[in-house]
Amino acid sequence: MTQPTKKPTKMNRRKALIGLGASTGALAAGGAFPGAERFAHAQSAAPIKIGFQKHATGIGAAYGRWYGATTDAAVKRINENGGINGRPVEIVVEDDATDPGRGAEVLEKFATQHEVDVAFGTLFSHVVIGSAPRAGELKLPYFVVSEGHHVASGMLNRYTLQPCITDVKSQVISMAPFVAENLGKKVTMIYPDFAFGHDHRDFFSEAIEAQGGEVVAKIAIPPTETTFTRYFPNIPRETEVIYHVMVGPAVLTFVKELGEFFGPNRPELFGFIDSLEAVDIQSPGLEFLEGSYFWEGMPRHAQAGDTEAQKAYRAAVGCNERGASVEDPANVSTYAHMFGCWETLNVIKAGMEAADYQGPADRPKLIEAVEAMSAIPASEDHPQGDKLFNGKTHQVFAQQHISKVTDGTLVVEHSTSIEDGMYEDEVDYTTQTF
Amino acid sequence: MVVGTKRFIGMLIGAVLTGDAAHAHAADQGFVLLLPTTAYITGGTIAVAVTILLMFFLNTHQLARAFTPYDTGLPGRWFTPPRGFSLLASAALAALIYIGLAGPTDPQANLLPLTLWTVWWMALFVVQGVVCDVWRWINPWTGVFDTVFPDHKAPLVLPKSLSVWPAVLLFAAFMGFVLADTAPNDPERLATFALGYWLFTLTGMALFGRKAWLRQVECFTVLFGLIGNMRIAGGDRTLKLGVPGWQTFHGTRFDLSHAFFVLVLLAAGSFDGLHETFWWLGQLGINPLEYPGRTAMVQITTLGLIGAICLLTAVFAGAVWIGLRAVPVVDGQRAAGFAEAFIRFAIALLPIAIGYHFAHYFVTFLVQMQVVVATLADPLAKGWNLFGLAQSRVMVGFLTVPQTVKLIWLTQAGIVVLAHILSVILTHKTAETLCRTRADVLKMQLGLSFLMVAYTVFGLWLLASPRGV
Repeated sequence: MTQPTKKPTKMNRRKALIGLGASTGALAAGGAFPGAERFAHAQSAAPIKIGFQKHATGIGAAYGRWYGATTDAAVKRINENGGINGRPVEIVVEDDATDPGRGAEVLEKFATQHEVDVAFGTLFSHVVIGSAPRAGELKLPYFVVSEGHHVASGMLNRYTLQPCITDVKSQVISMAPFVAENLGKKVTMIYPDFAFGHDHRDFFSEAIEAQGGEVVAKIAIPPTETTFTRYFPNIPRETEVIYHVMVGPAVLTFVKELGEFFGPNRPELFGFIDSLEAVDIQSPGLEFLEGSYFWEGMPRHAQAGDTEAQKAYRAAVGCNERGASVEDPANVSTYAHMFGCWETLNVIKAGMEAADYQGPADRPKLIEAVEAMSAIPASEDHPQGDKLFNGKTHQVFAQQHISKVTDGTLVVEHSTSIEDGMYEDEVDYTTQTF
Repeated sequence: MVVGTKRFIGMLIGAVLTGDAAHAHAADQGFVLLLPTTAYITGGTIAVAVTILLMFFLNTHQLARAFTPYDTGLPGRWFTPPRGFSLLASAALAALIYIGLAGPTDPQANLLPLTLWTVWWMALFVVQGVVCDVWRWINPWTGVFDTVFPDHKAPLVLPKSLSVWPAVLLFAAFMGFVLADTAPNDPERLATFALGYWLFTLTGMALFGRKAWLRQVECFTVLFGLIGNMRIAGGDRTLKLGVPGWQTFHGTRFDLSHAFFVLVLLAAGSFDGLHETFWWLGQLGINPLEYPGRTAMVQITTLGLIGAICLLTAVFAGAVWIGLRAVPVVDGQRAAGFAEAFIRFAIALLPIAIGYHFAHYFVTFLVQMQVVVATLADPLAKGWNLFGLAQSRVMVGFLTVPQTVKLIWLTQAGIVVLAHILSVILTHKTAETLCRTRADVLKMQLGLSFLMVAYTVFGLWLLASPRGV
């Protein structure tokens, strides 16, 4: 039995739909709890409460909006299909302000004030790293959607899991075979000069060497830089591929200046869509990216071979064929990442059902149930594709996509195998006690 | 796999530093960086400089005529709000506080932070400074006080010599809350602050008297009264209309505390913009692409705010002092004492403070106002559709359309330039009231003219700078 709450904790059910193109019919139906009779067979009718640590404000707000929309769409579907163990799911939203310190406070509120069953949904790595120790202290299962390597690196704890989005180390490693075989073996890397860029530099350098390639130049750009032309002469003439992972507001300037520097005779370009997540690839100034390649966790633009599950997911989160809001087509989503919220909620559901989860006392059983997961086949629950969860490292591995900008559309050119992104375990969380 | 201690620490540091960079998005800021903002900044600054030069060719009478208001003859009492409005405002505030405490925990779905920050702080501020005196109608204390304490005689006396100094301190503290608090958007936290301040003010009014407390301590009444001097409409007995700023030359008395209030307002507004820039974060050694969050910045932001207030006060005082020194002493007498000049010229900065407020919040307002409207449909998250607003959608896509971003930026920049131009004109008119000869009027503004031009560059640079917060 769940305990009665000390304070009413409500999500604004219609908020999920604001501006994100979902149908208004759902509103009239009363949002997340359509028909109590659907849950009549549960031992307890009390909802399963999932604390959503949302980047509602702060620098993560653009992501927060879409993570929120995806979460609400996923919860709506789960509830329409009978909830979890016959109980409805209720999302309790708290804003972490994209702030690690605040993140830890929010987990505390989840555990002590809202008395949620699990916490979920964090994207920004530093918020995960700031919050996870608190999750461990509170013994609160903490399902993150962050793609950081911090989970698999072993720096967190048994209560923190990343079951549905591949970490950046795996993403980067899995790109090397395609780059070496199809784009070129002599690579110049251009990256922001801090840990994020250094991770790409280190992971990719090692991976491309394993493919018989080499990084011929490593050009680190200071994070506060807003003009880049003076760095481009450092690109060696022998460069066959430029690997770029620039981020922040100056990305558009970077692309524009790169285009002005090279003109029509450029080496191949390979980047991570993170640089241009939530930005229309057809924006003025980005013409230079035509014919270049991007990593995508989940293809933003609808593909010819999309499965029914992928089509259903796209419709449920209110996105059109270009990954933008149906109702506000200029509002491009964070499509390459936000599927992680949808899929993670389905893993929580599967884990709770496998563990016959009844309440907070069963949290260790839930974690053990998730740790026991291995192959996660593609389905409507997991539209991004097949996955392999590593219970020891609490990290999932999945197929990644490389898309080519073709007439302004990201067309998937290659999909990696799960094995392309595997690496040796760095931790075994299952040896830690609860 | 066993990880060596040294390697583990290295990994830990690396992982801690692996922040939000991958997700710092490039949208509207990215398009601003592609605009020819250097040319726009140059143009705007030239416009302000040219205004300064043009002022030299105006004769005293022309400006005096411009600042003489037109008397509509409409009785001022027509515009005195009935008590019911304030009571309604109190009820609305109570409802908002209830929603803050018991409503949705997501600040983007809770009417308390949405209303207080978007409707009241962002929008009402500008309306109050430009259009009309809304605050008088919706002051949430007067109606309750007059109802609960009719014919009240305060047991304590607030010394008049304190003037608005208590309000200056409270307002500085409020700006500290806005800029440096860890979670000013958190509904429960904000509700606690709002309720606490409402009770504090009502208690103060009971102890020291309604009029004294509202005029000297309640910082928002003081603020809205002060910026109200820039409204076109004014006057006591009859409604008068005039050029913005006319009221400062017709009867309103200011002292040093008013001058400091204006400087705190302008400094806080300027620092609000500055503390988000790559430049500021760079000075602190903070990578703007992995902003560590407000919790890590409480102390430095508070110190920065205090520093900004001190710096602006010092620079402004220096500019006034230069002007005073430039005007020759006649018969052993200066044109004006330093304190008088400092006070009068500080009031002339009000348009810039209002302009910065508008420019700083404009984009946020355009988005958040839609969220307010959408949330009105269902303030308690019960699945309601009040006022038929459940159909409303929050559109943010316009922030990624280059043409719209350009239009918005030019609107912000235009307002900043216009605010400086108005401030230049007020400064000139103020100098005319202090000096006897035309040459003295020009000399008196020597330092302030440089300050105006420099501040224009600064204000426009703020709009064009990449931001990391």
